Amino acid sequence: MTFQFNSLQEMWAMAGHGPYVWTAVLVSVAVLCWLLAKPIMQHRQALKSIARNLQRDGGQLDKEQPKKKNQSTPVSEDNK
Amino acid sequence: MASGRSWNWFHRMGSPRWFYETTGRWLPWLWVLTLALMITGLVWGLAFAPQDAKQGNSFRIIYLHVPASFLALAGYYIMAIAGAVGLIWKMKLSYMVMKSAAPIGAALTFLALFTGAVWGKPTWGTYWVWDARITSMLILLFLYLGVLALQYAFHSREAGNKASAILALVGTVNIPIIYKSVDWWYTLHQPATIKLTSAPSMHPDMFQPLLVMILALYSFYALALILFTRAEILQRESKTGWVRELAQQAHPAQSAGVTK
Amino acid sequence: MMGASGGFSAYVRRDLLLAYRRRGEAASPIIFFLLVSTLIPLGVSPDSARLAELAPGIIWVMALLATLLSTESLFASDYQDGSLEQMLITPQLLVLPVLGKVTAHWLVTGLPLTLVSPVIGVMLSLPTAGTVPMMASLALGTACLSLIGAVGAALTVSLRKGGLLLSVLVIPLYMPVIIFGSASVQSAIDGLNWFGPLAVLGAMLSAAIVLCPLAIAGALRLVSNN
Repeated sequence: MTFQFNSLQEMWAMAGHGPYVWTAVLVSVAVLCWLLAKPIMQHRQALKSIARNLQRDGGQLDKEQPKKKNQSTPVSEDNK
Repeated sequence: MASGRSWNWFHRMGSPRWFYETTGRWLPWLWVLTLALMITGLVWGLAFAPQDAKQGNSFRIIYLHVPASFLALAGYYIMAIAGAVGLIWKMKLSYMVMKSAAPIGAALTFLALFTGAVWGKPTWGTYWVWDARITSMLILLFLYLGVLALQYAFHSREAGNKASAILALVGTVNIPIIYKSVDWWYTLHQPATIKLTSAPSMHPDMFQPLLVMILALYSFYALALILFTRAEILQRESKTGWVRELAQQAHPAQSAGVTK
Repeated sequence: MMGASGGFSAYVRRDLLLAYRRRGEAASPIIFFLLVSTLIPLGVSPDSARLAELAPGIIWVMALLATLLSTESLFASDYQDGSLEQMLITPQLLVLPVLGKVTAHWLVTGLPLTLVSPVIGVMLSLPTAGTVPMMASLALGTACLSLIGAVGAALTVSLRKGGLLLSVLVIPLYMPVIIFGSASVQSAIDGLNWFGPLAVLGAMLSAAIVLCPLAIAGALRLVSNN
């Protein structure tokens, strides 16, 4: 197993195929990162909005909350 | 006795709380595994694997393209099976998994198409050909988009879940038919000039990094699916006590004074 | 209104009668089929050699769109006037009334499309060798399209604007049908054996007759409850 290129510049150029290879890599990494970042953000937002709702309702933990606001919609909209 | 225990396990697995807590313990390991495999596979594939005799360096794109295509197809089955379990055993968690699998699968299908197109340009001189596999992949993307669109079309979450589970199942029955039809259609119209590489015997030096990347994407898929499902659980179970406790622990400042 | 003996024929008769009372609406897929086929020579070329080359594919695509257009209303009016609920609570097997409704739908759209298609074939200068295979493949294929489309119609029946969504759901599932449908016409024109693709269409239709009513019944049950 050897490094296939003489220098990093050569690896970047990939003998003329650089633009294609690196576009594919960058887009793939971006999409994969988005797939991990989106649920993490959603998770965080959900926790925050639940905590906020709890504060607003003054600790009525066992009472059913007034359902004027759908729990999931504001969260998913915040992420757009 | 043994069957009783196994059903116990099954019901416990259907509990969103159990899922949330168990996967919480797995997550750090899964992150490490995914990142390690991904970095190893990418560096190996991009820098150390020997270049292809005919395609040159552009062949390195397969290290992304092939694993993404694998998971795009496998993901549809995972989604459909989760939907079927939800329909049959009325398991809430299962619908959450199904809903989470849809965007991941659609993104991976898009990625497979995109990397395929970028690979096609230097290799065959064109971004798009109506090749059998590419066409099937495009149809798979449409199937995913249908499930996603149906999921969000209903006001009632319950109805959206059930409808998209049925659609996913119908799609599952259709996928083999679609693949076979498209394959047959392609042999009928196959232009003689374009021959796609079938890579009958890959050199081990090229194949090993591909194997690492496939494992990396499987691990990534598990990680993303768990993350999406956990976020979904929090949103859907926001009325339950354990989720509220979790929220209070995470944001003690905001909910200060709540617990007297 | 419907006899207890078999929900199937009762629903076929009922839907045919309803279609007869709303003749204008029932005729719209055929008119659509004819109208769009006049666009093709205007948009592509009046040259008969070029039209003949495109004709099998175009006729099939248009038949597909015409079927899709009429599929949306398959369960919609029943859902609105409450007779769908009635169908769902009957003690009979839901599969048979469903199959009856789909059969009526095919008799009202697929069959007329098949019968009109030779006219369109002449207009698009389809070679005469293709006429019989075209009618045979359309007869089998539109039945498949009706069954598959009904699954989408059942899933979207409770949505107010289900039309566009319906096409997103259903068109990917239509693809095998159009592949084999247009292939049987094309191979007849090329002087090849066209029974092969037609047999595949027949196999697809048999599978669809068995499986689609199950999915439709399930979808109607689940979706209309909400």
